Amino acid sequence: MSAQDTVLVVGAGPAGLSAAATIASMGKKAVIVEKEDILGGAPIISGYAKLVPSGEWAKDAIGRMVSRVEGDGNISIHKSAKVTQVAGEAGNFTATLSNGDKVEAGAIILGTGFTHFDSINKPEWGFGTYEDVLTTTQMEQMVTAGQIRCPSDGRVPERVAILLCVGSRDRQIGREWCSKICCTVSTNLAMEIKEISPSTDVFIYYMDIRTFGLYEDKFYWKSQEEFKTKFVKARIAEVTKSPDGRLLVKGEDTLVKRPIVIPMDIVVHAIGMDPNALNPEISRTFGIGLEKHGFIDRAEQYTNSQGTTRKGIYVCGAATGPEDIDSSIAQGQAAGARAVADLYGQQKIAS
Amino acid sequence: MAIHEKTLIDPDRILQHDHLVIDGVDVSGSWNTMITPRTLTDYEEHFEEIIQSYSGGENVHRCWQCGSCTNSCTMYAQNVDFNPRYWIYLIRLGLKAELMKDKDIIWQCVSCNKCTNICPKDVRPEGVMKATAHWLEENGLTPKTLSTHFDEEFTHQCIEFGRIEDTEVMVGFFKRSGQPLVQAWIVEFGKRLTKHMPLGQLTKMGMNVVFRPKTKSWGKTGEVLAEYVKAQKEAAHHG
Ligand SMILES: Cc1cc2nc3c(=O)[nH]c(=O)nc-3n(C[C@H](O)[C@H](O)[C@H](O)COP(=O)(O)OP(=O)(O)OC[C@H]3O[C@@H](n4cnc5c(N)ncnc54)[C@H](O)[C@@H]3O)c2cc1C
Ligand code: SF4
Ligand code: SF4
Ligand code: SF4
Repeated sequence: MSAQDTVLVVGAGPAGLSAAATIASMGKKAVIVEKEDILGGAPIISGYAKLVPSGEWAKDAIGRMVSRVEGDGNISIHKSAKVTQVAGEAGNFTATLSNGDKVEAGAIILGTGFTHFDSINKPEWGFGTYEDVLTTTQMEQMVTAGQIRCPSDGRVPERVAILLCVGSRDRQIGREWCSKICCTVSTNLAMEIKEISPSTDVFIYYMDIRTFGLYEDKFYWKSQEEFKTKFVKARIAEVTKSPDGRLLVKGEDTLVKRPIVIPMDIVVHAIGMDPNALNPEISRTFGIGLEKHGFIDRAEQYTNSQGTTRKGIYVCGAATGPEDIDSSIAQGQAAGARAVADLYGQQKIAS
Repeated sequence: MAIHEKTLIDPDRILQHDHLVIDGVDVSGSWNTMITPRTLTDYEEHFEEIIQSYSGGENVHRCWQCGSCTNSCTMYAQNVDFNPRYWIYLIRLGLKAELMKDKDIIWQCVSCNKCTNICPKDVRPEGVMKATAHWLEENGLTPKTLSTHFDEEFTHQCIEFGRIEDTEVMVGFFKRSGQPLVQAWIVEFGKRLTKHMPLGQLTKMGMNVVFRPKTKSWGKTGEVLAEYVKAQKEAAHHG
């Protein structure tokens, strides 16, 4: 296995898996380095339920992507490993892994993804204080388990509130981006909750609804029209607890200019996508730049759209900023194809 | 049941009939209330910029109407007409006439800054309240507040004499704000002062009132200062 035949792929989420499969399908070798002991990225590690927009269970959909690379002779996989050092340059990198192995590669692709926003950073909304305040990932896990119950005492919730933009679009906590997918995920989650627990009413508290493109009617309208999800234009001031143990959601319904204090049984934070917490380390190790929010910066938008600020190193998926799975996969393919093209370029010079 | 939204509508646009027959159909009862449409012509194009020109109002254009300020607001909890989000909306659109309806409560902001701490866009609503209150006051739309009267007397003495004299400030402040000089609490205050204060100190205070001390060769400095303050005010050129 020579550098000119190989692309190193870091991270095995939808983006990295897609890049590796693309490289292998073009007859080159991919070496995957994943820090966790399972492949599949956020949808598998965090146990997402049914995915937007396919409606397929995450473990099936992403599971297919995982078995595709696991069964490929051109792909080798290092789990529970990270890259600790990168020497050389485009066409001839040598990466040292935390497990002691060395990988020679002509190009490198980063599919290192994002970190879920930690709701503890918004204490006024009750996460970490009240058992019945959850994040979307926890709610997805509940849906996957097939039962909607209040964690505090196991009762079936009468009312569930989903608060949008938790950890996104908020100068107070230095997160000035929209996480892109949480509106759609939340409208979908509302339908999933209603499906499992028909007696539960779901409320979505929003500032804007951003179910972009084809997600509008399939998720927003369907959730509202067929599943009776109620949309309230308000950003919540605080979540507290009433003496009877129910949660109290306090806010202003801005459309009718009226204060609201509404009892809820479960409050769900639609958490956003932060830059990967490891990005400063990744930036140092790979010698690449980060953009102003802390995601991995891209060289140029149009003719080298997956290029990082360093020649020969590419980036795809949520590592570049909040992305959905479809776009992450497409970017993985783009990065994979571009990296393989580089290998051919290098071979021409080499021969 | 009271319809809350009615409070948003000018009373003279609500038409209520005990008996109403439209095209031969008796709609008395639930359908007896009509609202005459309103054509808005009173947009003040530059209202937002005017408020922005007052200290504290600079970020008003950032607001996206999420309502966080209002629902966290100390005063809103007392009175639901105290609605910073709504006022910011009116300022942004230039709906001055609408804002005027609440002009007598805007100053009630207690500067607790809960709104500023929660606002996701860093609008600093507390500053906007302050800026709006100043604009109202400067344009004579609301009476001068006590603190403005105090500031004016204080500044006046600084510029005039290069220093202040406590008793004079209080007397001037009472005069400006139309309060009587003899008030029960002042009398009591004076009594206790004379009882507990060392004689030397008391004499000094009395002398100061009679022979008001002045900073040496202040005259010219005062003029320069006054001019500077005037220039600063003009530079801010509020509308
Ligand atoms: C609650 C929630 C629900 C969502 N639901 C949907 C949905 O239904 N449909 C949809 O399209 N999108 C959804 N998304 C978005 C989706 O999660 C992302 O689009 C997707 O995970 C991005 O894939 P990725 O491969 O770029 O990153 P990730 O999935 O984050 O994968 C990155 C991988 O890289 C690994 N890694 C990170 N750093 C290193 C390192 N230094 N060394 C080695 N490995 C590393 C990680 O362990 C991980 O396995 C959802 C997001 C959230 C928050
Ligand atoms: S996608 Fe929706 S919930 Fe997520 S940050 Fe954007 S607006 Fe907020
Ligand atoms: S500073 Fe004023 S407007 Fe802001 S929360 Fe306090 S009282 Fe309300
Ligand atoms: S909290 Fe900020 S953005 Fe939200 S309505 Fe108030 S001023 Fe506007």
